[in-house]
Amino acid sequence: MTETTGVPAPDRDQRSAAAAELAEREGMNITSRSFGRQTFDRFRRHKLAMISAVVLVLLTLSFIIGPWLSPYTFSEQDFTALNQGPSLEHPFGTDTIGRDIMVRTFLGGRFSLRIALFVSLLTTLIGTVIGAVAGYFGGTLDTVLNQVVNLFLIVPTLVVLLVVGVRFGTSPNGIAVLLALLLWPSIARVVRGLFMQYKEQEFVLAARAAGARAPRIMFRHILPNTFGPIVVNATLLIGVAIILESTLSFLSVGVQDPIPTLGNLIEKAKGSLDTKPSAVLIPGGFIVAIALCINFLGDGLRDALDPTARKA
Amino acid sequence: MFAYVVRRILSTIPLLIVGTFLVFTLTAISGDPLAELAIQDVDQAAYDRIIELYNLDQPIPLRYVNWVFNAVQGDMGPSPSQGGQQTFDLVMQRAKNTARLAIPAFIIVALSAITLGVYSAVKQYSKLDYFVTGFSFLGISLPTFVFGLFLQVFWGIWFFDWFGVRPFFVLGMRTVASDGWLDMIRSHVLPITTLWLVITASESRFQRAAMLEVINSDYIRTARAKGLPRRTVILKHGLRNALIPLVTIWAIDFALLLGGSVVTESIFAWPGLGRLLLDGIFRQDLNLTMGVVVFISLLVVIFNLIADLLYGVLDPRIRYD
Repeated sequence: MTETTGVPAPDRDQRSAAAAELAEREGMNITSRSFGRQTFDRFRRHKLAMISAVVLVLLTLSFIIGPWLSPYTFSEQDFTALNQGPSLEHPFGTDTIGRDIMVRTFLGGRFSLRIALFVSLLTTLIGTVIGAVAGYFGGTLDTVLNQVVNLFLIVPTLVVLLVVGVRFGTSPNGIAVLLALLLWPSIARVVRGLFMQYKEQEFVLAARAAGARAPRIMFRHILPNTFGPIVVNATLLIGVAIILESTLSFLSVGVQDPIPTLGNLIEKAKGSLDTKPSAVLIPGGFIVAIALCINFLGDGLRDALDPTARKA
Repeated sequence: MFAYVVRRILSTIPLLIVGTFLVFTLTAISGDPLAELAIQDVDQAAYDRIIELYNLDQPIPLRYVNWVFNAVQGDMGPSPSQGGQQTFDLVMQRAKNTARLAIPAFIIVALSAITLGVYSAVKQYSKLDYFVTGFSFLGISLPTFVFGLFLQVFWGIWFFDWFGVRPFFVLGMRTVASDGWLDMIRSHVLPITTLWLVITASESRFQRAAMLEVINSDYIRTARAKGLPRRTVILKHGLRNALIPLVTIWAIDFALLLGGSVVTESIFAWPGLGRLLLDGIFRQDLNLTMGVVVFISLLVVIFNLIADLLYGVLDPRIRYD
């Protein structure tokens, strides 16, 4: 863009110098804060979210470092220590074929978290694109989206996941893609609503008047405004994915042995629930801890990124 | 009104067709129904008879059309994994067992979600509100199967170690006929608690949000200003309106409860629809899987319709045209 007014606009330094002078004269203290800074300041006030963020970082680090420090590997079998309870040598005990549960739990956490992150990214990508297109153009595409949402209501997600997961969801990436293919409608609906709302506003009209085409308006002008809700939903999706993936694993659909996930560890251990409940409760505790932290984090992010949002 | 109902039912038919076709195709391509026979020593004639009986040599779309044609006439076909019993009879019989959990669970969920939601909205930012919020966060973050297994460990092992009694049965269903009323109740408590926690956690959140919105509206202030007691205002003016947005959520939750909880039923060895569905899926029993799926889908459709009609009763401004 070129200046058309003829009068040169004051550059940034001149302007801020003027502002500082004004502030001094009027006795006001102006410190500008960037969007990121404002968001972080708001986020910091949400104590639970801050604690959750710290706990999540610690959990992730232990999932990454833990297996590396352990003297055992995830598939190494010790036939002299089958199906044991917690001991000094095996703090979480061993499973029915003599594998150390502690190293398997940390690795399981790593796989579960990796799957959940992948699901969240993929779902957000699919949902945002479809929601953006449906919300911006409306018409047939929008009708199709609505019908798909209705379809997913009539045929419960878990049923489809069970049916397809038996064959196609046995690898970490396979189950992640399956979950993403079923979870996108919720995020698409959010994005669609935001796009419908923003496309009527003046800045979109201005962009259009300046000659911007639809893709540019959608992704350069409208999309940045929807950043907050999308990030919040993507965060909460991690929690949903962790729970869904572990539920599928528990029903022995999903990632198969020997690759551990928090869910299939519980599935393997539920047979000896009455003699060795720790093998069920420890991975279960990790799932709850991760999901709880993610939910608090999402709540804090909602308050920080999207201060006008109604809390539901 | 009548025209509305008819139109709604007609508009769900295409969705039902697409949905059942998808599940039918996915189930059919997800596994080989003959795998179980192949590892047994079955002679070729029996093998061919099975293929003939279930039309396994035909293309999937044709089999689907065939299935729909029979299904709309009430013939859901035999279920090979359940010894060839009629799918329709199996589903009806299991639906009864599932309803024995679903109906009490739903009543308790509705009552507790309303109470918790209304209290925490009325006393916003009080200790109780934080407690309810914490409870619902925990409930949302707790996978059903982890909670169910925890209940089994707690009541079946820890409580037994401390007190030497098991107040609740941790596995299986007992009927009035076999053991008397008390035993029947004892076998129902834990699965119902499991269903209750997860649904109540999210419903009480919605109820709180709906109630907060109502409480801060003008007509509530008017009602208070004209001197009505607080209690009357909250219950008669507030709650009545705060229930409307919840009706849809209730309808779907109740439909899904009646459709059977796969996880809860497998943890507590409950012979309901959820386990029947799992059986159908794991044993490549297409007729059985489809039978349960159709049952769940119909429940969702019917309860959604009921919810929409209830909307009109609760809010007379809504008209059906």
